[in-house]
Amino acid sequence: MAWHNVARLDAFGDRHVIGVEVDGTPVALYRIGDAIYATVGMCTHATGLLADGWVEGDTIECPLHQARFDIRTGKALCEPATEDLRTYAVKIEGADILIDFPPVQQSLNPEPAIATGRSTIPETTQVDTAVQSNDDRQRARGSANATDSTNRKGILLTRQYVWPSNDLTRIPDWVYTDQDIYDREVERIFHGRTWNYVALEAELPNVGDFIRSNVGPTPVVVARSEDGSVNVFENRCRHRAAEYCRELSGTTKEFVCPYHQWTYNLKGDLIGVPFRRGVGGKGGMPSDFLLENHGLRRLAVTSHRGVVFASYAEGMEPFGDYLGPEILREFEATFDGRKLKVLGHYRHSLPGNWKLYHENLKDPYHATLLHTFLVTFGLLVAGNRSLMLTDKTGRHGVMASAKSDAKAVSSDAKKEMRAYKEGMTLREPRFMDFVGEFDSPWSVTMATIWPNLIVQREMNTLGVRQIVPTGPHEFIMKWTMFGFDGDDDTMTRHRLRQGNLMGPAGFLGLEDNEAIKFVQDGMQRVPNREHLVKLDPTTEAGTSDTLISESAIRAMYKYWRQEMGL
Amino acid sequence: MDDSSKLDSSDARLDALFLRHELEMFNAAYAASLDENRLSDWVEMFTDDARYVVISRENADRGMPVGLIYCENKGMIFDRAFALEKTAMFAPRYLRHIVGNLQILAGGRNGEVRARANYVVLQVLFDRPDAKLHQVGVYHDVFCRVGPSLKLAERRCVYDNLLVDNALCLPV
Repeated sequence: MAWHNVARLDAFGDRHVIGVEVDGTPVALYRIGDAIYATVGMCTHATGLLADGWVEGDTIECPLHQARFDIRTGKALCEPATEDLRTYAVKIEGADILIDFPPVQQSLNPEPAIATGRSTIPETTQVDTAVQSNDDRQRARGSANATDSTNRKGILLTRQYVWPSNDLTRIPDWVYTDQDIYDREVERIFHGRTWNYVALEAELPNVGDFIRSNVGPTPVVVARSEDGSVNVFENRCRHRAAEYCRELSGTTKEFVCPYHQWTYNLKGDLIGVPFRRGVGGKGGMPSDFLLENHGLRRLAVTSHRGVVFASYAEGMEPFGDYLGPEILREFEATFDGRKLKVLGHYRHSLPGNWKLYHENLKDPYHATLLHTFLVTFGLLVAGNRSLMLTDKTGRHGVMASAKSDAKAVSSDAKKEMRAYKEGMTLREPRFMDFVGEFDSPWSVTMATIWPNLIVQREMNTLGVRQIVPTGPHEFIMKWTMFGFDGDDDTMTRHRLRQGNLMGPAGFLGLEDNEAIKFVQDGMQRVPNREHLVKLDPTTEAGTSDTLISESAIRAMYKYWRQEMGL
Repeated sequence: MDDSSKLDSSDARLDALFLRHELEMFNAAYAASLDENRLSDWVEMFTDDARYVVISRENADRGMPVGLIYCENKGMIFDRAFALEKTAMFAPRYLRHIVGNLQILAGGRNGEVRARANYVVLQVLFDRPDAKLHQVGVYHDVFCRVGPSLKLAERRCVYDNLLVDNALCLPV
């Protein structure tokens, strides 16, 4: 309970009712003789503002549908109103009208819902004592008079995010489309306790070599310093925030921000500030300014088998523990100790949520259905030996399959897949050859390393794909394709030919990109629905040995919900 | 530099003019076959041992060989067209190839001609109102004569745009 000064007596002019706002709530003030009364400003029936209504004796008639109320008691007197008006106590101090207005109730956030962070209700009571003139009211009438007093402050919209059920078989659209959820992912996941892929060491063989990269959406620079270490720091000058490094890659002795030539070494330490001591004894930095306190923001770095990861979190577990033994084994089957040789990059944007890319590679169900190329030419069929592996947290996964002879596929399995066409053959089928070079039972593995890395071992075409999210509806993929130092020309050309399967123009790759776009389109055009991921109910979440399963997607969301507090 | 200025006889100048005309006609027919989605006609514009590569300028400048499309012979070019027509899933679209700034660099051995031309590919998706610039780049070409007609022995499409917009579904 609190008294609020809401208007001066002379605000009535010659009127009998005026409108004011308290905490965004419209309040109507009435003058009957010398007495002042106050009620809630909006009719209980529809959205009529009583300040625009008609006072007759001690009653107020709503301008919209002519409901009438007793001004002194708030009692509803006739149809269409059935609910009384709330009334407020009034006192006059000098020329001021004060009303006793209850404090605003804080909204509740029942678990497991989270508030969005935008939902702020002012702590201090704000009182709008502006009173519109009759002329203003006259103009507003008819179109927006129901909301004209609230619109001036805007309205507060909040949203609660509640997982739709106790299980994981339904995923709500807001997981993929909501800006607040995306912002929280950047904070809790990409800037949280994760190892984010940033580079291959083979891209930085020498001292001074650097590349531009990203941790989540955040631009960073990866550089090799004089002591041979790989360093990762933000691409944002500590002085005026300029993104100082503009080249995709290169070699340098130091990084100089072009705006004011603040200079950083290969570890990101600030080593020079021009005119730090001013000129002629004037200007310059304060005497307590220390270079060592103004280095670039540095990230923790780890490297495993030539693959470099960075983290905003302190005290991250070792990379092997982060992957877990099963995923580490597959990671090391691809990065088997041979020195990598970078063959080139693909870069493309995808109009979809970044998690859809993880899901696509945790969804073995789609492989033979979307990618009819594989089936048409007898290269992969549903009967192939395969595994969808996850780590125990559910965040990482490996989709694995073993190539088999097309002739050995049972006719039942063929019948199930509409695209299988015997007799359709490639003129150059050798590009699909698999040259055994790995200590692994699998000819194909696609590893999803949380949160931003895909390791592709599609027979002999090898690459890492880095996810760079740019918002809930789009992300960028940077692919770095590689072979090994010992590859001869024949092997390199084989890898390049096989590369026609993948990438943004790959026989398989282009289809994945299109499918992800279709999914995002569907959610944006028919919003606020759910996805269904029910396949393979005997495995609630985690590793599955059938292709016809979505248990790895469910495992990822089990982990995601925990990290997001949802 | 204008190549024809080096030529002293009027016959040689006329030959150069005819050649230039021939290449321009070829590039127009090439663009039309792709714009009209006649991929089997497109395949026939290459020699049996033709190389066809679509590669980013980023990779090309750094001497890295990875291409969006990497075909070492006509069989692979045929397979690309065949797979796109028979199996590939992608949204329907219109493409418009614009080829210009033709430069004839050299006539080599065996009647080979080296040439270069700028290209632009505009793409219209059926769910968006606008045509978007899908690719901008340079064709680095080697032409040769097979019987009466010109064919491509090599076309390297080097595109400038850093990011491919989602997917490159059809050839450049």
